[in-house]
Amino acid sequence: MTELKQTLLLTLREKRDVALAIFFGFLAGIAGAALMASSGYLISKAALTSQMTILIVMGACLKLFGLVSALSRYAERLFSHRATFTMLSNLRVSFFEKLSPLAPGIFQKYRSGDLLARIVGDVENLQNFLLRVFYPPVVLAIVFISTIFFTSYFSFAIAMVVLVGMLLTIVAVPAIFAWRQRRIDSAVRASRAELSTEATEFLYGFRDLKIYQQLDRKKQDLTTFSERYGEQQRKEGFEENLGQSVNAFVALLASFFVLGLGAYFVAEGQLDGLYLAMLVMISLAVFENVAPMAVFPAHFEENRKAAARLDQVVSEPVQAAGDAELPLNTLDIKLENVSYTYPEEERQAIEGVSLRLAPGSKTAIVGPSGSGKSTLLQLLLNILPADSGTISIGGEPLAALDPEKLWQRMNVVLQENHFFFGTIRSNLLIANEAATDEEMEAALAKVQLGPFSLSSKVNEKGENLSGGEKQRLAIARAILRGESLWLLDEPVSSVDSVTAKAIYRQLFERGKDDTFVIISHDLTGLEQMDQIIVMERGRIVEAGPYEEIMEKQGHFFKLKQIEKSIFA
Amino acid sequence: MVDLKQLAYERKNIMAFLFIASFLKGAAMIGQALFFVWIADGVFLKNASFEEVLPYLYGLFGAILLRVACGYAIGRSGVNLAAEVKMDLRKKLIASFASNPLQASIQGQSGQKVSLLLDAVDELDGYFSKYIPQMVQSYIIPILLLAVIFSQHWVTGVIILITAPFIPVFMALVGIKTKEKADQQMEKLGQFSGTFLDVLQGLTTLKLFNQADRQKQTIQKSSLDFRDATMEVLKSAFLSSLMLEYISMLSMGIIALEIGLRLVVFDSLTFFTAFFVMILVPDFFNMLKDFGSAFHTGKGSTAAANRLSAHLEKETPAVEWGAGTLSNDPPHLLLQDLTFQYGESFKLGPINTEILPYSQFAIIGKSGSGKTTLLHAIAGLLPLSSGAVRVNGISREQIDEKSWFDQLSYISQSPYLFAGTIKENIAIGAGREAADDEIWEAAAKAGIGEMVGSLKHGLDTQIGEAGRGLSGGEKQRIALARAFLKQPSIVLFDEPTTGLDLQTEKILQQSIAELGKQATVITVAHRLHTIKQSDAILILSEGQLAAAGSHNDLLETYAPYGVMLEIQHGGIVQ
Repeated sequence: MTELKQTLLLTLREKRDVALAIFFGFLAGIAGAALMASSGYLISKAALTSQMTILIVMGACLKLFGLVSALSRYAERLFSHRATFTMLSNLRVSFFEKLSPLAPGIFQKYRSGDLLARIVGDVENLQNFLLRVFYPPVVLAIVFISTIFFTSYFSFAIAMVVLVGMLLTIVAVPAIFAWRQRRIDSAVRASRAELSTEATEFLYGFRDLKIYQQLDRKKQDLTTFSERYGEQQRKEGFEENLGQSVNAFVALLASFFVLGLGAYFVAEGQLDGLYLAMLVMISLAVFENVAPMAVFPAHFEENRKAAARLDQVVSEPVQAAGDAELPLNTLDIKLENVSYTYPEEERQAIEGVSLRLAPGSKTAIVGPSGSGKSTLLQLLLNILPADSGTISIGGEPLAALDPEKLWQRMNVVLQENHFFFGTIRSNLLIANEAATDEEMEAALAKVQLGPFSLSSKVNEKGENLSGGEKQRLAIARAILRGESLWLLDEPVSSVDSVTAKAIYRQLFERGKDDTFVIISHDLTGLEQMDQIIVMERGRIVEAGPYEEIMEKQGHFFKLKQIEKSIFA
Repeated sequence: MVDLKQLAYERKNIMAFLFIASFLKGAAMIGQALFFVWIADGVFLKNASFEEVLPYLYGLFGAILLRVACGYAIGRSGVNLAAEVKMDLRKKLIASFASNPLQASIQGQSGQKVSLLLDAVDELDGYFSKYIPQMVQSYIIPILLLAVIFSQHWVTGVIILITAPFIPVFMALVGIKTKEKADQQMEKLGQFSGTFLDVLQGLTTLKLFNQADRQKQTIQKSSLDFRDATMEVLKSAFLSSLMLEYISMLSMGIIALEIGLRLVVFDSLTFFTAFFVMILVPDFFNMLKDFGSAFHTGKGSTAAANRLSAHLEKETPAVEWGAGTLSNDPPHLLLQDLTFQYGESFKLGPINTEILPYSQFAIIGKSGSGKTTLLHAIAGLLPLSSGAVRVNGISREQIDEKSWFDQLSYISQSPYLFAGTIKENIAIGAGREAADDEIWEAAAKAGIGEMVGSLKHGLDTQIGEAGRGLSGGEKQRIALARAFLKQPSIVLFDEPTTGLDLQTEKILQQSIAELGKQATVITVAHRLHTIKQSDAILILSEGQLAAAGSHNDLLETYAPYGVMLEIQHGGIVQ
């Protein structure tokens, strides 16, 4: 239950709605019981007398209780759902507050793209907490306790039967099944993950599997995994059904004992027979309400796991960061013998890299994919911490700087740049809130996006923009930032070479004295760079100005030859 | 069309069992009410002793037991039904994935297909495990209850018959209104619900621009807007439950009044009958209520069923095979009017060309010109729309599938490595048990021996899904090692465009030359040296054969080829 403490606190923050929902839930339950009780009592009474008043009272009671029950149920649903959605909003905000300090480092650690979808799913999952986990037992307990009070007025023993029935149906049975659920749940999850992995392999590897004639074997495997998952689900279904049946059985059994005991007391003369039908009807009515408890174990377990997973994500230690500010003068960047290995990988992604980026210099980092270019940039941004060696900016060691202050001084374009649902304007304002429309339009013109209107719509993830447009928009954002240190990771890889050249020209003209670090696997247009760094397998294999390394006829020269020979 | 109801009725045994169990459950419900009333009536009005009603208590216990047992059996059958239908559908889906020859060309949609196999099928669960059992019960039990009510007191039956039909009518009315509301709010709902994910996805960008804190308000605002939009829809949905409850309450009120009137004023009804009817009537309306909620669960499955239908109905012709066998020598290949068409949009061919044994054959053209599709068609991965690939004079369709693929290697830009050891990944090429020596030799020839040797576990090193942990060049070299182990007589090669390190580049060239000693090599070429050395070059343009011949032939006869080369020599557009 500790996992759900946070969720509970967030839920209880919506005091008014939760209290109203509980109140109306109670009212609906108790009015339903009262309806049945009064009909039982009045039929018994009617059997004995022939007074018209009985009939009138009967009609009035039935109408009243019926109406109250139905309306309360409606109000209960409204308030409980309102509280749920408000709670969901609190949950999102509170989770975001916790996740934000961990970004972007955490996205490097979990390299799988489904981390975010999982987070969103788990948060969504917790919306069941109020409706299916917290709320039903609370309301039921109040309804039961009131009923027990009422019945104890007629017969203490019968009240005790109801009490035992209540403890069994809303405490004991759900608890046992929640405990059993733990095992089943993880087995279902595991077999689902296996099937998903196997299916992905099957589809991605289709051509190779076909040619190597492994398709049938793999298909067999896939079918086996699918059946295993199906069997696990079947087991889960059986368990839910068993829980439901046991709960229903206990509920009916309670009414059985109420009747048996009542009949005995009436026969023995300890209870007026007039009340027997009423007590039986009450028992049938209140135990009818316990049905939601049958799904409690599954939801409880699901919520508990979701909360635990979310906790795990945000309980990552925050990467130690300093709070020093950057000196205001132009920034000199130095890397000395820096190495980095990704967690759970054997080989170093960056191996003993030393490098100096002088203020105002223009550096290109080139090399094949997987050679460590982007990792190097992540290290420079202090998104990844170097395992060994030192990185310093303006004489300050990177580790001592406040990362947010560091980023404030940079114009960064990453390989993947996010664009938010909104407009071109709202996406540009992220870089600089004070930017005027004229400034934004000028920035767009510089990246050859002049025809774009600031109020054009941008869909989620910028899905309505082409790859090249997104890259250019990201550069426009960097331009609006207006700092003097540029870190660009493959900024124009999807832009045609003529436009790319024009953009670079604009950037270099405007930022004559700025420091540029550009990662590129495209080797053209690097003539104007002060320094070209060639990386291969995490190491710098060649460095120097364009002319110099071309003359050497080393790595860069050969790469250039290959690139020239590519027949696109 | 995946007809869900039909899928259920196909499982006759389960359905028959559901009907029988429902009937028994209905009988148990009636029995339970009967015993309740007998006992209450006995001790209350007939002054029976406890011993006299004891047999009824046993009877009541029996009825309760039967009711719960039937409920359990019905639930279990529902779960079984759902499990069987789901497993069956998954089997069908897997078979359709496996037999679809286009699979190789449309890898991009893999994510969707996995979701189809897992999520869409799971979404059908509610229909079979909840809706169908409830539906069967709703066919039988209310009718049983109604029959008993009629037999006891026909007026009550008539009142039910008059009031009950209002329930579906009102439900339908409210349902239509809810749908209208939902449609109105649809855009808002989609927009707000996505904000959280949108902000999380953009968190890196936000952090770099120091905007993260500001987004807290955005999340909160959109979540609350989402709440308000949803509540609008829910309000009318809840109204339908209110309607249902109100009508059943009203109906029960009228019945109680009528019974009371007879009981009090006319004395024409016994306590027994009155109490019995008063227990059965709520049961009747509860059945309708349960059906209402199960109906919603069932409705939720329709969208998933449509997605599945859309996939399963798409039929693609299979690649045909025969019984002929191939020798180990490279065959003579002849493409005769080879055409392949998929949908309206793209057509490849007709293409006529000859590929001689041991020759180096290159295919070039702009991206989207159909180079890879042609390679797939030659490989026998795609069914030809018309024309033929003749192998040593006989149609490829006459050749045994295994015999053909035994002679073929395909090295793509992104070879697929499955989760397993390096050894397993190379050995897959042999199609048989291969000795470690052979595998080391193949690895060495592919230029990856040294790298593998340097690993702690050597050939037994685990490589993750899709070869995680290896660079692009290393993956290529593992694919080459597969080919060296296999020693095929036809090598199909889709050249990588960019991003290889110099060593891999060198090894690729050597390896292709080495493999070419024993085989015909057909290359989708991106590199000049491949083209120049080729015995024949085929130029594709928008799926059509633009020109063919050797490097020198083309230079003389096909002017655009010269232009293409010139551009390359001069570097990319200056």
